[in-house]
Amino acid sequence: MKVAVYWGCIIPTIQYGYEMSVRAVMPELGIELVDLDNISCCGTPVQSVNMFAALYLAARNLAIAERTGLSDLLLPCNGCYLSLSEAQHFLSRDEKLKEEINSLLKEENLRYEGSIKIWHTIDLLHDLVKEKKIREAVRRPLKSLKLAVHYGCHILRPSTLQTVDDSENPRKMDELIEWLGAKSTAYPEKLDCCGAMLLLSHPDAAFTFSGLKIKAVQDWGADALIVSCPSCQMMFDMRQKSVAATIGAKLGIPVLYYTQLLGTAMGIETAKLGLHLNRSPVDEFLRRTGLISTAASPRN
Amino acid sequence: MSITDLTTTKKPDSALRLKILAKIGEQKPYDCFQCIRCTSGCPSMKMLELKPHEIVSLARLGFVEELITSGIVWACATCLKCKERCPQAVAPVDLIFALRNLAVEKEAKVPESYLHSLSAILETGFVQKPQNTVTRKLEKVDREKLGLPKFHEADEKFKAALFKVLEQSQEK
Repeated sequence: MKVAVYWGCIIPTIQYGYEMSVRAVMPELGIELVDLDNISCCGTPVQSVNMFAALYLAARNLAIAERTGLSDLLLPCNGCYLSLSEAQHFLSRDEKLKEEINSLLKEENLRYEGSIKIWHTIDLLHDLVKEKKIREAVRRPLKSLKLAVHYGCHILRPSTLQTVDDSENPRKMDELIEWLGAKSTAYPEKLDCCGAMLLLSHPDAAFTFSGLKIKAVQDWGADALIVSCPSCQMMFDMRQKSVAATIGAKLGIPVLYYTQLLGTAMGIETAKLGLHLNRSPVDEFLRRTGLISTAASPRN
Repeated sequence: MSITDLTTTKKPDSALRLKILAKIGEQKPYDCFQCIRCTSGCPSMKMLELKPHEIVSLARLGFVEELITSGIVWACATCLKCKERCPQAVAPVDLIFALRNLAVEKEAKVPESYLHSLSAILETGFVQKPQNTVTRKLEKVDREKLGLPKFHEADEKFKAALFKVLEQSQEK
């Protein structure tokens, strides 16, 4: 099945591990990804400055995706998912606004119709690929692992829009973990925000948000933290050292994208999943859990 | 922190109040009955003393200028819990975004990085160009070395169209 894919800004410019792992696992699960031409930012970063421009950017990318004639669009980034979901919501309820946006899109010979279905990595795997295919793809079951999941705010709220899962009790990512043979641990801080959106204005507060969450996950005894949003991953993985320094705690929890974990369970080489790019201690985690042997560890 | 000093401050500004109401469309601050569910679940309340219910209250009273000059609207982490949990569908976060937009229009207190994002998008279509990074073993890598397809910036037509959008939004 062909699915258009829109990577946004953060994934293709710095969070390469997410892009690599999505590109590695999807074709093996029967999803052929179709990249889009001449896309741009989704609008989220300019929402604070100019909401109308943000809406335009979201509609523009949707129009480009619609031009492919495909019926499904994958948005691996939570921020992009919210932005495009919000645009579809507003434009479906306001014909005048839709025409105003379309008259602007005409400059680039684009037209927004609202005809494409949007997916995030999590609901695409859970609801489109489904349990049977994922269980069948597992070569190395993740037995006796206790994992903490972090959904990220923007795929869960607000439920007035299309979202990926229930806003207060999401289960899809937990089930996706269980289909790999691991246990998803329940923890009180599960819905806590990573703080990434405060980085531009209050970096210390942003780091404290992340620090308290990582510390909680660590204190509850989870083997790793599994995420599905590039902004959250940047906070929990890439910046884990700065975060630890900010809250004055010793932090050292492996943080992986769900698609990196899935790919490992499917037996895909770790270098193809970008696992050599994570900054958190994932090597020890993969070795200790028997997912990679010392000899078979990637060259990086 | 105090956003307004109600004994000495100037009078509420009804023109600005109307301007902000026009920006938020279907969410009406007047429906708020101050149950404070938003503030009780707000992560920025704990860290930065952001009180969404207070912002709603001040906006509907017309203390809009005080809100945008205080800088408090930039303390929101946009976790959207206030919008999700409000029993009256008031959506404090939407009001916060509208106030941020107004702060930009009035050249009030705006963290500079937010404006940088917009200029980067005008230049390349994205908030940043692909960055070089390192593996855990400190080997330098880029998209090409990682076997990822070439990254394309948006073209000139995109920039011209976005300029037009920004101009049109200012006429509103």
